[in-house]
Amino acid sequence: MVRVLLRFSEEQVPQPITSQIILEYKVPIAILAAHINSKGGEILAEIPDEAQEKIIKAFRKRGVSVTVPKLIEVDTEKCFSCGSCVALCPVEAISIDKDSSVKFDKEKCVGSTCSICVDACPARAIKSVKQTNSEQLANNRKK
Amino acid sequence: MSKQGKTRTVEEINEKIRKGDVQVLTAEEMKKLVESSGVEVAFKEVDVVTTGTFGAMCSSGAVINLGHSDPPIKIDHAWINDVEVCHPGAAVDLFIGATNMSEKQPFEYGGGHVIQDLVAGKEVELRATAYGTDCYPRTQLKTTLTKDDLNQFYLLNFRNCYQRYNCAVNSSEETIYTYMSKLLPRLRNATFSGAGELNPLMNDPDYETIGMGTRIFLGGAQGYVIGEGTQHSPKNLNGTLMVKGDAKKMPPEFLQGAAFTRYGTSLYVGLGVPIPILNEGLAKKTAIRDSEIFTDVVDYSVPRRDRPKLRQVSYKELKSGSIIIDDKKVRVSSLSSLKMAKKVSKTLKSWIEEGTFFLTTPIERLPSDSVFKPMRQTGEIPFVVSVMHPAVTCTENEEIRAIAERIVTKSVNHIVVIDGAGKLRGIVTSWDITRAMAEGKKALADIESRNVITAKPDEPLEIASKRMAQHNISALPVIDIEKKVLGIVTSEDVSKLLGR
Repeated sequence: MVRVLLRFSEEQVPQPITSQIILEYKVPIAILAAHINSKGGEILAEIPDEAQEKIIKAFRKRGVSVTVPKLIEVDTEKCFSCGSCVALCPVEAISIDKDSSVKFDKEKCVGSTCSICVDACPARAIKSVKQTNSEQLANNRKK
Repeated sequence: MSKQGKTRTVEEINEKIRKGDVQVLTAEEMKKLVESSGVEVAFKEVDVVTTGTFGAMCSSGAVINLGHSDPPIKIDHAWINDVEVCHPGAAVDLFIGATNMSEKQPFEYGGGHVIQDLVAGKEVELRATAYGTDCYPRTQLKTTLTKDDLNQFYLLNFRNCYQRYNCAVNSSEETIYTYMSKLLPRLRNATFSGAGELNPLMNDPDYETIGMGTRIFLGGAQGYVIGEGTQHSPKNLNGTLMVKGDAKKMPPEFLQGAAFTRYGTSLYVGLGVPIPILNEGLAKKTAIRDSEIFTDVVDYSVPRRDRPKLRQVSYKELKSGSIIIDDKKVRVSSLSSLKMAKKVSKTLKSWIEEGTFFLTTPIERLPSDSVFKPMRQTGEIPFVVSVMHPAVTCTENEEIRAIAERIVTKSVNHIVVIDGAGKLRGIVTSWDITRAMAEGKKALADIESRNVITAKPDEPLEIASKRMAQHNISALPVIDIEKKVLGIVTSEDVSKLLGR
């Protein structure tokens, strides 16, 4: 599975773009997080690996901005495993393992669309790379 | 063990340390041994139990001596890495308080970080000003320093190692940021602090072996208890320690600067106390489990000294990751690090086993009967509850005309709209009524404001008053957690109080 961030403009919001793509390509797309209002919005979606290329193309063809979002970055040097972040995580991506260490599950983390844990870390060990940065990264990669 | 077999002494234990045959268990291991083999066996087999805790301890700091500059300066104000440090004594002695914040990066970098950076061997920048005297003529100073340049660099923490601490929640509608970290609205998370059954004072709750002069693990080096900590409150199991240790000997790992968003900075301190198992009673006490240690779940949304306590909870429940409050499962985070607390107790154990750490008998035990008193206040702060009065109300199906009449007969400017259960629905002002007349509107629904700015009875009046000014309004309905209207507070109430 690959995780992508779809960004819709004001004009695109009323159009059933995601449903059209699901129906057209017969590919299941999981929506992990969505923040949309009439002015536009973002959907964090998961696409099966094998369909990744054609689905991303399909969204881009319809004018939707597609980026691969950076997830939460944890500086393991700084983290002293207090666990302040654990109960805040809405998708239970952070847990305490048997040796009392704090563990991050990158697979579960919904990344920069959430970021609820970032300002709760007393060690300032958690960084969320803003979408604009990953967009820049994606653009740089294109060049 | 002494001849009677009922007690052992610190001297006997130290002799065993010297010979290399001392039996040391961490608190974690001791609990398992007592559970499997009983107190009697545990007492016979174990000489020392090592404890540990690693948490944010705001009342921490460091005393440093800089040596004299040329020409000499009697420092008046000083900053290290833009963090203001105190000058409590003579010319060049400074105290770095853990919670003092950087003037350039407030809330992100503070005294705790300065201590951490110095301990790590980093170079820091010192700036100082003075008024200049005949003996200390210099008025300005700027230099860089490392710990090696300091004559003394002592950790001097006036309150560490709280025996146990509250569990914090927030029942309000807004996220709040506290020293108990980020608390989500409507009890969506809880936080707690403390190592529970590994905490030093919990393993010797009568302070039989801990007191002034007790040698301890402090920040990764040997340190000492120098007495009771401030706010020491043994009667309700809230004992604290005042400690001192040579920070030059401390490795970077066990002291960590910390930043709590919108609260400030602090210092995480690793602290461990060896408990000599002098008698069976101590063997039994060091077997205490998290399930036997209770604390209160406290609602931090109430900005008062005595905050509402929602229930009692054990450290076992807290460490399980979730607790139940009012039939609701609330996920809990620890603020202190259990992983590091265990590391403290294991490191201390290895020092004793290796023969580099010897136990001491305290020269004075910690007080066991003192109480932590609230502040004596010569003036009372007014709260919303002290000035609010009953609200004049209406329901949504009433006619505007009836409401207009009520405004006149009751001589008020605000009518609070409630539902059948007395809960807040909206607010109507005399101005809304005037506008309705001008625009020919008849239905209350068309003119009432539903986005009502409110106050809570426990809030200081000053905060409520600022809220009115901020929103350019002149009254706040006072509501409880369930939105039930308790009364109203108006700007007139505030001015009357000020004019008294």
